[in-house]
Amino acid sequence: MDRMSLDQREWLYRFIVYLAGFFLFWEWLRPLEQITDTQSVTVFIVYAAFCFFLSFLQLPWFLSIPLKTVGLAFILDGLFMPQRFFSKSWFAYFYEHMQYNVQVMLDYQWWEMTPLFRSLLFLLLLWLMSYLLYYWFVVSKRINFFVILTFIYLTILDTFTVYDGKVAIIRAFLISLIVMGLSSFIKELDRESIQLKGNRAYQAWLVPLVVLVFASTVIGYAAPKQTPQWPDPVPFIKSAANNVGGSGDKVQKVGYGTNDSKLGGSFVQDDTPVFQAAAQDKHYWRIETKDTYTGKGWVNSDDPNVKEFSSESNLPVDTFSLENVKTEERTATIALRDNATFSKVVYPYGIQKVTQSDASSFEVNLKTGVIQPFNNGKSIQLGEYKVEYNNPSYSFQQLQEASGEDPQYIEDSYEQLPDSLPERVVNLSEEIVSEEDNRYDKARAIEQYFSNNGFDYDTQDVAVPGEDEDYVAQFLFDTQKGYCDNFSSSMVVMLRAVGIPARWAKGFTGGEQIDSITKDDTSYNVYEVTSGNAHSWVEVYFPNVGWVPFEPTKGFGNHTDFYLEETEEEEDSEVQQNLEDKLNEQQPEKPEVNQEDLNPGGSSSEGKSLFSRVTFWVGIVLLAVLSIVLYIYRYHWLMYFYKRRFQKEPNKENYEAAYHFLLKALDDKGGMTRSSDQTLREFSKEIDRHFQSNEMGILTHHYERLLYRNDTEDQPWDKVTELWENLIKKALS
Amino acid sequence: MSQQAFLYHSKVHDLFNNIQKVMIGKEEVTTLSIVALLAQGHVLLEDVPGVGKTMLVRTLSKSVDCEFTRIQFTPDLLPSDVTGVSIYNPKEMQFEFRPGPILGNIVLADEINRTSPKTQSSLLEGMEEGNVTVDGNTVELKRPFFVMATQNPIEYEGTYPLPEAQLDRFLLKLNMGYPTAQEEMKMLGIVSGEHPIHNVEAVMTQDELIGLQEEVQNVYVDEHIRRYIINLVTETRHHHSVYLGVSPRGSIALMKASKALAFIQGRDYVLPDDVKYLAPFVLSHRLILSSEAKFEGMTTASLIHELLEKVSIPVHREK
Repeated sequence: MDRMSLDQREWLYRFIVYLAGFFLFWEWLRPLEQITDTQSVTVFIVYAAFCFFLSFLQLPWFLSIPLKTVGLAFILDGLFMPQRFFSKSWFAYFYEHMQYNVQVMLDYQWWEMTPLFRSLLFLLLLWLMSYLLYYWFVVSKRINFFVILTFIYLTILDTFTVYDGKVAIIRAFLISLIVMGLSSFIKELDRESIQLKGNRAYQAWLVPLVVLVFASTVIGYAAPKQTPQWPDPVPFIKSAANNVGGSGDKVQKVGYGTNDSKLGGSFVQDDTPVFQAAAQDKHYWRIETKDTYTGKGWVNSDDPNVKEFSSESNLPVDTFSLENVKTEERTATIALRDNATFSKVVYPYGIQKVTQSDASSFEVNLKTGVIQPFNNGKSIQLGEYKVEYNNPSYSFQQLQEASGEDPQYIEDSYEQLPDSLPERVVNLSEEIVSEEDNRYDKARAIEQYFSNNGFDYDTQDVAVPGEDEDYVAQFLFDTQKGYCDNFSSSMVVMLRAVGIPARWAKGFTGGEQIDSITKDDTSYNVYEVTSGNAHSWVEVYFPNVGWVPFEPTKGFGNHTDFYLEETEEEEDSEVQQNLEDKLNEQQPEKPEVNQEDLNPGGSSSEGKSLFSRVTFWVGIVLLAVLSIVLYIYRYHWLMYFYKRRFQKEPNKENYEAAYHFLLKALDDKGGMTRSSDQTLREFSKEIDRHFQSNEMGILTHHYERLLYRNDTEDQPWDKVTELWENLIKKALS
Repeated sequence: MSQQAFLYHSKVHDLFNNIQKVMIGKEEVTTLSIVALLAQGHVLLEDVPGVGKTMLVRTLSKSVDCEFTRIQFTPDLLPSDVTGVSIYNPKEMQFEFRPGPILGNIVLADEINRTSPKTQSSLLEGMEEGNVTVDGNTVELKRPFFVMATQNPIEYEGTYPLPEAQLDRFLLKLNMGYPTAQEEMKMLGIVSGEHPIHNVEAVMTQDELIGLQEEVQNVYVDEHIRRYIINLVTETRHHHSVYLGVSPRGSIALMKASKALAFIQGRDYVLPDDVKYLAPFVLSHRLILSSEAKFEGMTTASLIHELLEKVSIPVHREK
């Protein structure tokens, strides 16, 4: 073939451009397997290719729609349907699914949608995309926009997710540079009406293009690259996103977090459920403790004392002496929700055993009390698990009589205070405990100090300590306003200031009872624990007893069980009365603040559920497609918008807006641009010559009267509307 | 643009047709002369001799029923030859004022650049002030008063170029140009017998003309148009090729002329089109190019076209 006819050339050009469009679209699908839990991405890619191919052939709708539908059904059958393809039960199964999902959607329970339905939606999306890209690339010959979108998509994924876009970006560059070069070459040929003779001439142009693109890619890839010249903006963006709405101070969302090195600042309430627990008693749920106070917050001393234990053996988290403390054997079932952002075990005091089929072993940090489940050496997140524990009750007498001999390792770790601690904190602590003679009473005195010295529980407007300020001192003397972190940290620091070993504990409060169930003749209460239940409190060490929890935060009741030994009941009745009063003080519980991003990274072990993520991405893509379609057809719907507005209220303003919209449509869609030195009349003549009519002239005449004559009288607007609509339709066609 | 098609006003249309009986082609110059007449301005016709400058003025004056006078400027003409002179009348033993040609309604100042500046200014001052002073007596000029001056291009010998400051007394400066071959053929056919100018009759009375002039004054000029005019004029003052920009008198002239053009097209409001069309005729003789620009071959006309492309047309209502 020596010469290529124009048709063939056009056909080939379209094919190449559309193929490039498909390859770029492929780059959109590739990351799905990694960043979402979409399985069998290959199938979707094949279906996309199928749709693109059919779109390219431009088959009549009565062929292409059934073909695509059958393809879609075939894929659904292969992925989800156990029944024979297109059998009666197949349809019944499908119908059942549809019915269920429609119901789910009507109830806004998006996460409940079945995989089959989500796949169906996704396939429909691919179908739509094939149309859209055909329109973009082939019909309106606008490639740049999608190219730019693709790059934005890839860079965002590369920056914010685990997806590595290094190769993808090179591929996208290759494809887009070649197709853009080709399209500008063809456009140039059309514009200058150049007739190239023979294939040689094309080769003379196209071969250098391809060689150049490849060469520049290779050079770009191989060339040494400088390290980034700007500081990495991602942490800033993340922190900025976190601080949105803050008034200078940082505002966080409440919830359990692991970084407590910088406490303070306001937070917003969040009632997202974290887990449900079925237990006989309401008590605190512990996760970890921290031992080192920095003056700004809490960290752990570098002393990892981690041991691994198999799932069957007893866990050695002994916060108290089993021999000296009265306990009751209990079991509880905990179901962590999918959106929990931590992989640690939430457990009650006295935990003995955790059982869950997925976890083959546990790593226990004996110092902090963190229990982490593992499966074959890989950290996992527990869904539902069962704990066996000995619920402790502490004896007053025992605590009051506990002798002051602390083991050396306790003194070493839990009496630490920063050098920067202001002297007045120590003085205050000593003053508070000056009248008490035993450790228990001293601890109680400090605990009580917060309830009647002008301290307020507040989550808003909570100060962040400045550079030279101490977190605890600021709260005790300056602000006296704060939440659990302020109260608990202050109590630990004050205890340590008077030589009592204490540590800072974190976890959740008991939650809200939502149900009760009976299992194996035991009745359990079901508690729902939300992010808002995140909490911190205090553990005080008593020799021979162990760690006893205290609750200094104003408005929180201590769920720890204390009892009086029966023989001495009478003497201590007053104490008991006080205690019972305190225990009944069941005020609404207020939460602890999460000090870090609630959704760090996106690593799969701590990740969100597959449902919400797929829904999220599908939502984003649908939204993008919708905006794109709206953008492409903007003149169509805007026309009706302006028309309606003008018909509703035919006045100067609306006529002017409509007239300028017409000018814009002529410019953008009709390719007829008014230069700034061209008068409206000159331009209207040009338009009328082009369309062989006088419509623009009439419309312009009315606008001229309005603009240059400042006409206030009414004009025959109804006739004008018709002319206007005609012209816009001509411009758009 | 063909101006003929825009002559909506019947009286103006008659006037135009009447002139066209004698002037073959030259529609644009004819229309612009009528614009100047209705805007109460004056016209300077510049071209080589023999292209019909004088014929245009004569035809125009014959078409309007009013007093036509003619001053043929020669190097020895004196100011009193223009304004008139007081002569002693021995019979009545007193001086008697004999009015000069400037006291007509339509004055043809032929070859104005062939006389001395002193005599030129006697005419130009009268054009501006509306009266002349002779021997201490102030004499009001007649209404309507319309001067059409012709001049040969200044590079021809034996001329006294008009001072720039005086040039802007003319509302429009027009060039006749040679007729096309076709037009000239037609012309030869017409003048082979009796010259058609002898058959021209007045189609408009003096009062009618004054009436039209008053109507022109009532044409509406919107703020947008005024701003457009000012933008144009301001551009001439800041252009690097311009030695002397257009004065405020120039912007007033452009507005007046635009009103008249709008009027003869049957509109009671001015369009940017009017301003844009008239700008070269109104502005080109009101600015002086720098010598570098002249050296580079730029003309005032090309400069004004450049400015018209630069200044954008107001198409949005200002709120």
